[in-house]
Amino acid sequence: MKDYIATITKNEQIADNIFAVTFDLGETPCVRAGQFGNISIDGTHLLRRPIAICKTEGNEVTFCYQIKGLGTQKLKNMGAGTRLNVLMPLGNGFYVEDTEQKVALVGGGVGVFPLISVLRAYKDTKEIAAYIGYRNRGAVCGVEEFAKAQKFIAVTDDGSYGAQMNAVQAFAADLEKGNRPDVVLACGPTPMLRALKALVEKENLPCYVSLEERMGCGIGACLVCVCDQTNGQRARVCKDGPVFNAKEVVL
Amino acid sequence: MANLSINLCGITLKNPVIAASGTYGFGREFNELYDVGQIGGVSTKGMTLEPRLGNPVPRIAESRGVILNAVGLQNPGVEHFLAEDLEWLKSTGTCVIANVAGKTLEDYEKICARLDGLVDMIELNISCPNVKSGGMAFGIKPESVEAVTRAAKKSLKTTPLIVKLSPNVESIAENARAAERGGADCISLINTLTGMAIDIERRKPIIANNTGGVSGAGIKPIAVRMVYEAAQAVKIPVIGMGGITCAEDAIEFLMAGAAAVQVGTANFTDPYAMPKIIKGLNDWCDKHGVANVSDLTGTLQLNQR
Ligand SMILES: Cc1cc2nc3c(=O)[nH]c(=O)nc-3n(C[C@H](O)[C@H](O)[C@H](O)COP(=O)(O)OP(=O)(O)OC[C@H]3O[C@@H](n4cnc5c(N)ncnc54)[C@H](O)[C@@H]3O)c2cc1C
Ligand SMILES: Cc1cc2nc3c(=O)[nH]c(=O)nc-3n(C[C@H](O)[C@H](O)[C@H](O)COP(=O)(O)O)c2cc1C
Ligand code: FES
Repeated sequence: MKDYIATITKNEQIADNIFAVTFDLGETPCVRAGQFGNISIDGTHLLRRPIAICKTEGNEVTFCYQIKGLGTQKLKNMGAGTRLNVLMPLGNGFYVEDTEQKVALVGGGVGVFPLISVLRAYKDTKEIAAYIGYRNRGAVCGVEEFAKAQKFIAVTDDGSYGAQMNAVQAFAADLEKGNRPDVVLACGPTPMLRALKALVEKENLPCYVSLEERMGCGIGACLVCVCDQTNGQRARVCKDGPVFNAKEVVL
Repeated sequence: MANLSINLCGITLKNPVIAASGTYGFGREFNELYDVGQIGGVSTKGMTLEPRLGNPVPRIAESRGVILNAVGLQNPGVEHFLAEDLEWLKSTGTCVIANVAGKTLEDYEKICARLDGLVDMIELNISCPNVKSGGMAFGIKPESVEAVTRAAKKSLKTTPLIVKLSPNVESIAENARAAERGGADCISLINTLTGMAIDIERRKPIIANNTGGVSGAGIKPIAVRMVYEAAQAVKIPVIGMGGITCAEDAIEFLMAGAAAVQVGTANFTDPYAMPKIIKGLNDWCDKHGVANVSDLTGTLQLNQR
């Protein structure tokens, strides 16, 4: 973990309301798939913005972000050469066991971006099937990355790109055909993760989910970002997560 | 090099910059970024006798220049702190301040008795609801400020007692005097101001608890004024906080009458905020020919009206 003074090299739109920003960190970071960065927008925003690390290449790191409120609004207007503080890498990230060969990625909404980092990390050693849900055709992005998986099924809420269903339904349909992975890695809106949790529990499949929560410090000190665990305790999304065993969290 | 060390109730701090309770945990995470031993003191996350799960999420929101939080005193309990964190935090060399809270006078007595002699100082968070008198916070009325201070002080044989004042009160000077009467060795202020932020699309407050404590840069002028009023009202030392972001902010508090300062929200914006403030204090003192940082305390001169 380091607070990089990062220089924007590229910041461009990749889909409706979604931008990709690439920073030069001045050195090569050591990043695990599924970790995130906490981006300082400017001095007027007291909280940083947690965004999943989508990819790293040499000294460069790319984040893909949806325009939501004031902070991302400002970020999208920042051009090449702008310098921002980026605290990273944060959180635990996804981990695939040696014994797990077939990996299913299930993602929806902005949850697709951390899954791109998983795909890039494991595509040469694992057999990956990606089930990715988008709102509509305009929201489709990352296709050139997901196309590198052994299987890529894209679906949309309105059927304007791929079949009309969500990512969990796409995954369930493939399961029914007998295509069973060794492990499921997922990120997306809570209702999607909830449906997935019910499915993997019924199917008795190991599953890891990456959660989102509003953060203060981003490093585990303030207990602002907690999630409920099935053992009755609360865990920090920023430090103990953002990736949790689906069995261990209440969604 | 200016002399940044200060003496607070007989305890020597390397410098007057202390991590504010609740923003710094027990220091371990920040120690991954820099040596926590260089910080003057660490006020721990607010602790209770038993572990607490705190409030539902979301627990935080941002508004221009400030943040709101309602963590609800989630903490692993005082025994966990004593078993797992205290030795380590002491070993860094920083001054260990245990921030404690309770729902009854007995809670405060018990937790102070348990910590007496084990930590460098104890800071009473009295912004919690008093379950035995209808749920109004201990920190609101001067009478209950005095009572809770007296109860805590009774349990302490060696460890100095800091009483942390809430700003959500009628008269900060009255409450400062009440803490002094109750036997406080020091007061700290300000705790957060109660506020609300609304998500207009959902027509609901952003924070699950509906209201939250406002902190950060935007509250600084209110905090400086209150520290000034409190310092005028009492003879015991005052620790000032509220929106401190840089060394110049810290100096305002010292001039207003604070012997030391605490830094909270700024740790979120810039995790290196405190080491930078300490360096900035030294630079400012050198530039202005100030030999001891303690010489700045209370040097404010009001305009003649
Ligand atoms: C671990 C993690 C990874 C994430 N990865 C991505 C990603 O790859 N791409 C992406 O588009 N978004 C991602 N998000 C969500 C992203 O953090 C928010 O959309 C973003 O912070 C909104 O900021 P804003 O300034 O536009 O909104 P504002 O409403 O101005 O934000 C106000 C405050 O609320 C916080 N906040 C608002 N919404 C969220 C949210 N959904 N989650 C966490 N904090 C929030 C902001 O960080 C800020 O502190 C991730 C969140 C987490 C926790
Ligand atoms: C996330 C968060 C948690 C806090 N928790 C506590 C606490 O447990 N006990 C306490 O006395 N004050 C707590 N505070 C208040 C701070 O210690 C401090 O009084 C306040 O934030 C003002 O300082 P600042 O503007 O520098 O943050 C908390 C503040 C924040 C932001
Ligand atoms: S954001 Fe502070 S503990 Fe997670």
